[in-house]
Amino acid sequence: MRLTSIFFLLFCWLTDGAFAQGAEQADVQIGLSNETVAITSSFDGADVVVFGTIENGRADLLASKAYDIVITLTGPTGNLVVRRKERKLGIWVNGSAHEFSDVPASYAIATTRRVGDISDAENLKILQIGLNNLNLLPLGEEIAAPEAEPFRESLLRLKKKQGLFSESIGGIEFLTPTLFKATIRVPANVPIGKHEARANLFEAGKFITTRSSQLTVRKQGFEQAAYDLAHSNGLLYGIIAVFIAMATGWLASVIFSKD
Amino acid sequence: MNLYLPIAEMSVNVFVLFGMGAGVGFLSGMFGVGGGFLMTPLLIFYQIPPAVAVATEANQIVASSFSGALAHLRKGSLDLKLGFVLLIGGVAGAGIGVVIFSRLREAGQLDLIISILYVVFLGTIGTLMVIESLNAIRKSRRDGDAAQAAIPKQQTWISNLPFKVRFHRSQLYLSVIPILALGLVVGVLASIMGVGGGFIMVPAMIYILRVPTNVVIGTSLFQIMFVTMFTTIAQSATNQTVDIVLALILMVGGVIGAQFGAQMGQKLKGEQLRALLGLIVLAVCIRLGWDLVNMPAELFSLGLGGGH
Repeated sequence: MRLTSIFFLLFCWLTDGAFAQGAEQADVQIGLSNETVAITSSFDGADVVVFGTIENGRADLLASKAYDIVITLTGPTGNLVVRRKERKLGIWVNGSAHEFSDVPASYAIATTRRVGDISDAENLKILQIGLNNLNLLPLGEEIAAPEAEPFRESLLRLKKKQGLFSESIGGIEFLTPTLFKATIRVPANVPIGKHEARANLFEAGKFITTRSSQLTVRKQGFEQAAYDLAHSNGLLYGIIAVFIAMATGWLASVIFSKD
Repeated sequence: MNLYLPIAEMSVNVFVLFGMGAGVGFLSGMFGVGGGFLMTPLLIFYQIPPAVAVATEANQIVASSFSGALAHLRKGSLDLKLGFVLLIGGVAGAGIGVVIFSRLREAGQLDLIISILYVVFLGTIGTLMVIESLNAIRKSRRDGDAAQAAIPKQQTWISNLPFKVRFHRSQLYLSVIPILALGLVVGVLASIMGVGGGFIMVPAMIYILRVPTNVVIGTSLFQIMFVTMFTTIAQSATNQTVDIVLALILMVGGVIGAQFGAQMGQKLKGEQLRALLGLIVLAVCIRLGWDLVNMPAELFSLGLGGGH
């Protein structure tokens, strides 16, 4: 869905460019301060800096700050269930639930200014720019049912509370008229996997182009080994855990039984 | 100092967890209980996912019950034969419990069932302990130090059951059916609640099976050790929820705290200890019960979808 719309816009832009021979379109390039985030035992979140430049920007438009940039960092997607507690027989139990498909595990956005001012609502929806424009649909449905709406809102709220979804309006800093950077916080509970950093360029409200770069989040060293073993051979992991516990217990009884 | 937990996938403060381990260890050493019933709710209050808290706590109890059982084995206050019969029921129960645990987790009701089980068991046992110990305190005030708690006569329905076996160390001639059943019940609870089950096992052995008090704790620890070993391995193989780093922090805190607790425990009288423990148990029960009936601040929760 997302990819097709982007390809469509890219195609429009390419054909547009082909007809407007000579007049070069503005472009954007980005680079990440690091291509991997390694989760080690002392990991408590990290900052990733996205650097970028606007290329072939028209001088007058650059001077009047007509170019807008939106940078998103999106985590791996998966299905997510949102449950609502309901009172049954006097106690609060998980009642109705909605499962949403292809929800990014994390989503951070940094913009030059308020999302609504950058482009028109329809464009932002297609490009899925801004938390409220994320295409969150209940599993197997084309349009969101009205009763799913509080669940979608809660999904966004809970993800924000966990620090996994974030919006940084004006979080893009221009170092020169064409060179910009944005610092994106990767929280301690960041999901492992492939993340995509993407920059979208707008010229006076019109979507121009998009570029992306990949960020890999992975556990390293002991954390990686422990996690891998737990998931590939849970039985062996359990046996090791038991032996560690027995060794600790035995050691304690040896140390403390002297008296 | 923060440390990243590889299975819980979160960053935690080592000193807070170590302190929790030591505090619960202190209480468990003082009262001669495993402390799982205090530790698991504490871990959940500390935002550790309940599934990880329960499975990891089982792993911690392996350490504390192993060191306890070793001490009782040396002193001869462990009935191995009785322990093995309890164990057969216990392992079967733990196996059933892990399957139930997995199903509840998929249905999104795991947290609720854990809370309800805690409220029911802690409420019942806490109340019984407080009443029993208050009676004992009153009695010892009246009769001086000659007070000796009268152990109730064994129920006739239990002594009439078939498949009787002789347990020499415990001086019992008893059917294996109630022993297997007790083991089974404690095994199921151990794997769902992340406890050793000593707080159920010990009173049940004294009051239902009439096992002499001097072998009860050692034998109970022996059974708990094997059931939690089995639970740890089964949880790890089925649900991948045992966090080895978290378990190790808690174990080290726990064994150190337990030593100081045991010294403190020798200074207090038995009935005072039981009254105090009863009050702590009730406090945890009320806290968890309140969360069930009080309208939660956040009604919504997130869980992984089926297609992950």
